[in-house]
Amino acid sequence: MPRQADIYSRVVAAKLFIDENYHEPIQLKHISQKACFSRFHFHRVFTKIYGKTPLEYLTAKRLQQAQHLLQQEGISIQEICNSVGFESLASFSLLFKNRNGYAPQYYRSLAFIKNKLAREQPHQVIPHCIIQNMFS
Amino acid sequence: MVTKISHTTLFVSDQDKAYDFYVNKLGFIVKTDTKMPNGFRWLTVVPSGESQTEIALLSPLHEGMNYDEETKKAFKILLDKNALGAGVLYTPDCRATYEELKTKGVVFKSEPKEQFYGIEALITDSCGNWFSLTQPKSM
Repeated sequence: MPRQADIYSRVVAAKLFIDENYHEPIQLKHISQKACFSRFHFHRVFTKIYGKTPLEYLTAKRLQQAQHLLQQEGISIQEICNSVGFESLASFSLLFKNRNGYAPQYYRSLAFIKNKLAREQPHQVIPHCIIQNMFS
Repeated sequence: MVTKISHTTLFVSDQDKAYDFYVNKLGFIVKTDTKMPNGFRWLTVVPSGESQTEIALLSPLHEGMNYDEETKKAFKILLDKNALGAGVLYTPDCRATYEELKTKGVVFKSEPKEQFYGIEALITDSCGNWFSLTQPKSM
């Protein structure tokens, strides 16, 4: 019977593996093998610890990274979709919209406007009281 | 009637180090990161996409901050001692988060321990603040 600390270190190592390789076509069986668990046991333990199934966690990680990339210029939405590990633009767009409430293109437009404002007129995004009272 | 906190401040000794801790290690999301023409950096983060309260990571030691030298000196003493903060961060599994953050080089003041309210470890952000990392009993 593995010690609890050993189980934790194996599951955490598997989670860090997902964090570092989310852009690759990761399969649950590969991660569970790496962590020396059966697929069923790994799924159960991971979900208990992180409150998400490994697949839900992987999808959330990819969408979070996509959110970050969408704020950058010079990379197309198709490229972002592929670079974070989604195979289909349609499923990426749908998942993104379900999570964020906006389609990737619209989210990107809003982010560009906000970033431009922050860059060119920072006093518009920093609460005025902070500028007035904390900064000379 | 006050309905929500839109921004709150966490004083840090170094904004780059704070960015590394809160964004790269804890996984917080950057909401705004911009600089005024005079160098004042406005850096806000949230713990998850759903959170509505932005945490502004401000350095009171920055030369443009509106504090006299005595106040800055007092801040520096407290920040160097990691004496500020004292907030509570919730986690669904304290021991797993402890293992993960240890791997990432986060400094702990104490290991996870059973408390009457859950399992708790104490962490520092290495920029002046400490937090309870708590897995509440009800989670």
